[in-house]
Amino acid sequence: MTAKDLLNPHPVTITMEETFGGALEILLERHIRALPVLDSAGIYRGMFYLYDLWELLLPKAATIEGAITDLSFMPGSVEELREKVLEAGPRPVTQFLKDKEAPAIHPETSIKEAILMLYHHDGVLPVVEKKTRRFLGILTPWEILNRLRDKG
Amino acid sequence: MHAETTAGHVILGWSAAWVATVIFVAVYVMVVLEKLNRAILALLGAGLMILGGVLTQEAAVRGIDFNTIGLLLGMMVIVGITGKCGVFQFLAIWSAKKVRARPMGVLFMLSIVTGVLSAFLDNVTTVLLIVPVTLLITEELKVKPYPYLISEVLFSNIGGTATLIGDPPNIMIGSSVGLTFNDFVLHLTPAILLVMPATLIPIFLIWRKDLVTTEAAMEKVMRFNDREAITDLRLLKQSMFVLACVISGFILAHALHVEPATVAMFGAAVLLLLDNLGRSADEQSKNVHHAFAEVEWVTLIFFLGLFILVHGLEVSGVIAKMAQALLAATGGDRNVTVIAILWGSAILSAFIDNIPFVATMIPLIKSMASTFGGSHALLPLWWALSLGACLGGNGTLIGASANLVVAGMAERAGQPIRFMAYLKSCFLLMVLSVAVCHLYLWLRYL
Repeated sequence: MTAKDLLNPHPVTITMEETFGGALEILLERHIRALPVLDSAGIYRGMFYLYDLWELLLPKAATIEGAITDLSFMPGSVEELREKVLEAGPRPVTQFLKDKEAPAIHPETSIKEAILMLYHHDGVLPVVEKKTRRFLGILTPWEILNRLRDKG
Repeated sequence: MHAETTAGHVILGWSAAWVATVIFVAVYVMVVLEKLNRAILALLGAGLMILGGVLTQEAAVRGIDFNTIGLLLGMMVIVGITGKCGVFQFLAIWSAKKVRARPMGVLFMLSIVTGVLSAFLDNVTTVLLIVPVTLLITEELKVKPYPYLISEVLFSNIGGTATLIGDPPNIMIGSSVGLTFNDFVLHLTPAILLVMPATLIPIFLIWRKDLVTTEAAMEKVMRFNDREAITDLRLLKQSMFVLACVISGFILAHALHVEPATVAMFGAAVLLLLDNLGRSADEQSKNVHHAFAEVEWVTLIFFLGLFILVHGLEVSGVIAKMAQALLAATGGDRNVTVIAILWGSAILSAFIDNIPFVATMIPLIKSMASTFGGSHALLPLWWALSLGACLGGNGTLIGASANLVVAGMAERAGQPIRFMAYLKSCFLLMVLSVAVCHLYLWLRYL
């Protein structure tokens, strides 16, 4: 079994023109954690994660790996955090796409390899055509769990 | 020349001096080019010194200064464990609040804290612990972190120069020459106390316009709870106890006829013991593994290889020839030699790693003893070497490991420090600090 047999071919996606605020609204409405970003030709350009919101809300130093592991000395208020979200709202979502996100998989990727990637990234895996990076769908833990239950 | 320590079968019929020189220069050039990791190069070079017939394996092992290795290893373990309790974050936040979070005051305080910590801990560890809190505070203050980071780079190297254990060149000089912790405090700390204001005042003049913020931003930093930064009170007490004992041990080491490496390694063992008392076997194993994983093995292996490389030069007589050349250049005048070593070390250390440089200079200076009337007459030369090699690292962004570590963290925080921008302001600040040392050496020793 490969990714092609497991993927969800119709997930919610956004375009590169979408704003940070708009993308957050969609995550909240749909109760999902990630949105694939596609260009006008349907090519996969990156994944917008809820993780990007956490990164925005935290001080920069806390997002550097291993630099600050405890923020209990730093007080904070909802107002202050909301201000940050409002400030970032109009910025294009493309500014938040980073390399460290889960890499894309291909239709031929085996189920074991896909599980290994979910194990390391615990997120949403975009499935793209190998050469063109045309977006085909996503693979989340839910697709795999559903398939495990069906067979049971 | 110590011909008895060479292997006796030098390859290609070359003299041992030629083989040693070729290996040493090749390794040195490769280290400067930074295409290959320096630990790999030093080990390769050390192996070639033996296989090439310059040294026997026994002679190579005799060339390793285990006092330097032990001191570095012990302090790395102690600092790695101490860092886990949050005491450095506490110090940074506490000092920022002491000056009511005013941007210039924070810059002064964080620079001084970096300098003082670097005098007792290794510079890289100090900046690794202080820079993240600095980024946090400057973000809250809405001021550019650049001047803060630059000042911390400079002060980590300046502070490190002040004591025997502050910077690897000092550890190497102290260990090889038999200079004590107290010797360094008496002879180098006064120079550093002069260099600190001579560096802070220009920093103030250069960046004062950038260091402005609002009352509201300062109020945010004042709301930081410094006590909450301590994440493990038990470990804090244990580490402070061990650190105090170790520093006292360094001060008393000479009187007690104990080498600094014994003090540091024993301190590390005691702290490991205290930190693991009452833990399960499984927890202990993880904890000890983590403590040793924090050790910078690359640096230690580099030292091992380097000591063997320099020993190869020494036994094949190359060092003695280099010393004769240096003496010829300075006319055999001790005062001119002191000043030449100070400035030469500073300029070279700004561009190349000061550790191999100092490793080469130590036997070279030692061999000048007879010319200048005994080893006591060499004292100002050792101080000149230490001041030049340690402070020279401030001249460029690649001059010292701490500089590169800060540049790396700044880049990840979206505040890159560029090579040329750094060079423009900091090379002159380095020259100024060396000029202060020149004056100090001249007034006190020459």
